[in-house]
Amino acid sequence: MMARMALAPDSGSLHVSWAPEREKSSGVAASVRGVSKRFKKSSVLKDVSFDVAEGESLVLLGASGSGKTTILRIIAGLEQPDSGYVILHGKDVTDLPARERGVGVIFQAYALFPRMTVEKNIAYGLKIRHSPWKERKEAVNQLIKLVQLEEHRKKYPWQLSGGQQQRVAIARTLAYKPQVLLFDEPFGALDAQTRVHLRREIRSLLKQVKVPAIFITHDQEEALELGDRIAVLNDGHLEQIGTPDDVYNHPATEYVATFLGAANLLLGVATQGTVEIGTAKLPAEKETRRFSEGQSVKLVFRPEDVCISQDANLPSGCRRLTNGVIQEVNFVGAYERLTVRLDLTHRKGETDGLYQVTINTPERMTGVPIMVTRPKPEATAMKFKPGDRVAIGLTSFSVLPNYTLARQR
Amino acid sequence: MARIRHVRGFDVARPLSIAALLGIMLPLILLPLLSIFVYGTGKGLGVFWSSLIAPDAVFALKLSIATSFWATVFNVLFGLFASYVLSRYDFWGRNAVIVTISLPTAIPTAVAGFSLLLLWGRYGMIGQFLTEDQQIMFTPYAIILANIFVTFPLAFGVIKPVFDTMSRSMEEASATIGATRLQTFWHVTLPSLRGAIVSGALLTFARAIGEFGSTILVSGNLAGRTQTAPLYIFAKFNEGQIEAANAIAIVLALLSFVIFSVLFFARDWFDIDTQEV
Repeated sequence: MMARMALAPDSGSLHVSWAPEREKSSGVAASVRGVSKRFKKSSVLKDVSFDVAEGESLVLLGASGSGKTTILRIIAGLEQPDSGYVILHGKDVTDLPARERGVGVIFQAYALFPRMTVEKNIAYGLKIRHSPWKERKEAVNQLIKLVQLEEHRKKYPWQLSGGQQQRVAIARTLAYKPQVLLFDEPFGALDAQTRVHLRREIRSLLKQVKVPAIFITHDQEEALELGDRIAVLNDGHLEQIGTPDDVYNHPATEYVATFLGAANLLLGVATQGTVEIGTAKLPAEKETRRFSEGQSVKLVFRPEDVCISQDANLPSGCRRLTNGVIQEVNFVGAYERLTVRLDLTHRKGETDGLYQVTINTPERMTGVPIMVTRPKPEATAMKFKPGDRVAIGLTSFSVLPNYTLARQR
Repeated sequence: MARIRHVRGFDVARPLSIAALLGIMLPLILLPLLSIFVYGTGKGLGVFWSSLIAPDAVFALKLSIATSFWATVFNVLFGLFASYVLSRYDFWGRNAVIVTISLPTAIPTAVAGFSLLLLWGRYGMIGQFLTEDQQIMFTPYAIILANIFVTFPLAFGVIKPVFDTMSRSMEEASATIGATRLQTFWHVTLPSLRGAIVSGALLTFARAIGEFGSTILVSGNLAGRTQTAPLYIFAKFNEGQIEAANAIAIVLALLSFVIFSVLFFARDWFDIDTQEV
């Protein structure tokens, strides 16, 4: 309620919920259970399951070809799964055609009806349901007010901006109180600035109407901002599902770590509460608990989680990894990006000496490169130049099992 | 060598090339058209008018318009249906069907008329089984059949590309909103085809109303019964009644002119609300 008052002060009279009317719900609005789908020879979805809670917004994040669009179409009833179920508010709708599901789809290019005005587009769902004219008019008025298109109600879609068209598309689905809203790459057709603006707008709109939503996107920033939870899809299977904090800070797989933002990756072994990378030992009591002694692991950490210092004193909360040499310093607007080569020497018996840092001239450079970013204040307070030797620590990282074969997962 | 060049920002090539363009068009298209108006009204508007309201002339015009109208109605409906099927479903032999629909454009109209005679004529493949009062050939129905044949692909040819390029997501949106297929077709698909339907209909009508080759074979060219306007022009010309032929020629020419003007602007009128932003 606070969000509503704060974000849309002029819609104070709008105390109508656009969520479907139903009895005390179990909390799960939509459920996808074990859905698989093949197109000709290729498997597009492999046993995908997830739930969307009442009022929640879930983002399906994945690269193109990850199957995210197919899931959306299966939920909407525009595509049939080969196996598995789609359950909306406790009802199995797998075999229902799209028109009987009561799902709202906001298509990528909005798919507004070009021969209808804004009003008529919004009224369409009620018109084909033969709802009384008066009721229809009232609902349209409320929706137009909700999406703030009062002065555009008589316009045709082509006379509207992308953002306005999108709002019409949303209002058009809200008119029939959809069980769930599905957004197909909602900001794909817009420029970067409008995109950020509209994201916030939609977020606040969804908070007002309290309809559960599923977004699909390939944009990680969009996913982090829009989703109450994020489901990361890769090649037709679900890699991880969790809150933005979860998937970003505790990625379950290497794919999630690298797809959501930048990540550094080092191979090591879990031993005695540490991750041993060559001769370096990183204390990680908690993180290595689930691994057996001597198990091969991957150390994954984000560029912003690296702390560097020219003396041996790293800030508290920062676990020391090893030393390194600054190779490159780039200033990229809001932050500074450094390439640092780590002193990582192989243990005795391992002959490959490639990881040993020698001299910092480009010709004879060795050592494992990692990417580090620092915020502007820190970068100005402590300047580095290529060739500086530094101590390297990590504030946060993940330890993942290192399977040599994908099927060992 | 005379060199054409810009003289103080004045492009000499421009008026010269426009003049050349008109010079070529003049004897080939403009003068012939002009001459029917010059000769047709040469003996005064009274003669023109009395030629025009001669019973056979009026009948010929009415028959042409009626037969063209029904051929147009059929071909637009068929074109819509065929476009829908061929752009929505993929099946074995789909391309063969598309080629077959387009075939009548390539067939000489006399051949078209002749083939209809062979099928429907008294001794034709189907015609032989019809009784005397069921015979179609040499009736207005034969003219409609011939018109349908020669204009078969025109409406389809205009409607199909629009169907193909129409985004599926609009129909899918309608379905997810809760519309049945019929509702979707009526409220969403059909309105988007408005321009194409009007263009297709006008194109078909314009082509049908001037049809000669096939009509003369299947109609029997009976004045006052199966004589269409083009046949009337031909018959009167053969009889040496130039004014009678000319009056109808003017009407047909004006009609085509009107149809093509509408055709030219139809897209703008009907598709104005689908312009890209």
